[in-house]
Amino acid sequence: MSADTSVPAVELRGLTKDFSVGLRGVKLRAVDALDLRVEAGQIFGLLGPNGSGKSTTIKLLLGLLEPTRGTCRVFGESSARVESRREVGYLPESPYFYRYLTGRELVNFYGRICGLARRGLAERVAEVIAWVGLTTAADRRVGTYSKGMLQRIGLAQALVHDPRLVILDEPTAGVDPVGAAAISELILQLKARGKTVLMTSHLLGQIEDVCDRVAIMDRGRLILEGAVRDLVGRPDRPAIATEKLGAEDLAALRAWFAARGLPCEESAAPRLRLDRIFLERVGPRPEGPA
Amino acid sequence: MSAVPFSPTRVALIAGNTIREAARQKLFGFFLVLALALVGGVQWFRDFNFGAPELKFLADFGFGAMAFFGAALTVAATAQLFFGEIEQRTALTLLAKPVWRAEFIFGKFLGLAAVAGAFCALLTALLLAVLMTREAALARDVPEAFAQGGRIDVASVLAAAWLQWLKLAVLAAFTLLVASFSQTQLFTVVMGFLVLVIGHLQYLAHGAYARAGSAAGRLLSGLIEVVFPNFQLFNVADQLGLGGAVPWGHVARVSVYGLGYIGAACALAVLSFRRREI
Repeated sequence: MSADTSVPAVELRGLTKDFSVGLRGVKLRAVDALDLRVEAGQIFGLLGPNGSGKSTTIKLLLGLLEPTRGTCRVFGESSARVESRREVGYLPESPYFYRYLTGRELVNFYGRICGLARRGLAERVAEVIAWVGLTTAADRRVGTYSKGMLQRIGLAQALVHDPRLVILDEPTAGVDPVGAAAISELILQLKARGKTVLMTSHLLGQIEDVCDRVAIMDRGRLILEGAVRDLVGRPDRPAIATEKLGAEDLAALRAWFAARGLPCEESAAPRLRLDRIFLERVGPRPEGPA
Repeated sequence: MSAVPFSPTRVALIAGNTIREAARQKLFGFFLVLALALVGGVQWFRDFNFGAPELKFLADFGFGAMAFFGAALTVAATAQLFFGEIEQRTALTLLAKPVWRAEFIFGKFLGLAAVAGAFCALLTALLLAVLMTREAALARDVPEAFAQGGRIDVASVLAAAWLQWLKLAVLAAFTLLVASFSQTQLFTVVMGFLVLVIGHLQYLAHGAYARAGSAAGRLLSGLIEVVFPNFQLFNVADQLGLGGAVPWGHVARVSVYGLGYIGAACALAVLSFRRREI
């Protein structure tokens, strides 16, 4: 199917969701007049504290919940329609699958559920399993998989029908840094393949590394949205990095700045990120136990 | 985007998964082993025949075990397998695919009906083996026992087993209907057994209200009669072991009656489940 890039992958307008709580039916607003647009081909991060409405928004997108007000469209199709889910792959938070199936049987099952023909299905299943790095564990029962392997097989079932939009709800929840880095790599590869990715994560470092744009939600409302580069970059505050700058040189440099009326607010050695050090020391694992 | 048609393949896949899940559950094995042990060991209960002919007693005992354990299995398995999908979030992954909610409900129902069918088939096979063995022994030792007829007719046993299965399928459809809107497994189990009790006793209520003669009573009994299936109609085991002919007309009418209730309950379950928030 050819991708129409003029149609946004996701378009939410005034999306509102109320839940009735308790016997008296008190309304709890989980999502409040949310307007959001995710263009095709982007990696979009949906951020927010627990209870901010991220997962509810995703369920509304998938037609698992009905909006109280507003519209929710996936590639121009109302999310209330089954048809809208044909182009969507979904990895739920803490995925639970049929544990008595092997990884291969599970992906095969979801492939057939998505309407893939029997002919060529085995090859497609093998392809996505290899892509997520689970070939050697493909014939083991899902019940024996580690958390990282469950996320990977979850990714495989989400991708088996080659959807244009991939929704990942906390794809690295409970996964160790090596597994999280592997999943980040897979997400970047999805973008390279032209997929749109909408993801939530509490690992803000991961979001910063992989996402093109982010939206931050709090108490159901959108409080900030923009390109990651624009949000975290400070073009008005240039920084200089150099090797082995002595105390005298540093003092001279400060004087040079002062002579030009430019305050030199801080001089410090850059810090390495702990996850980078961890990954350098532990190293990536070829397959499986992530 | 072109429409996603209703797919019998997806229904079959969901049904297949339901059967696999049921087969893995200890509950299914427990009820099956218990029922098989009772039917297989029925000869040790022959002294409790209350004067009925022996083969008639054996058949009644076997179908009693099938009805009792089958109903318990059906209600418990329906609630457990439905809520298992919701609580373990497998329904979330499944319904996030291009799957109609109707396909999910029909798949679940067909899977549960197949489980009940396997249960009835195994018990019927064992019961037939017990009946035939005992009949051969009686014919050898006490030939005059069959002077007035009373031989077991295999077709009658199969017809009775078919109706027992149909009754369990109706019960599964009603329990699934409750599960489609219920928030808890316990409520579903309680309501499932309530349907079973009402279905077995509704003819008594009908008779009582009809005798009472009040319009409101007649209306209420009529309502119960329409809403709940009369499970007594599914019991033709009384005709077994007495040499009577199989009441095929009755079997056909009850089959249509049962299938009608299954269709109505499943349709209502689909309507209810369509709006359920997962």
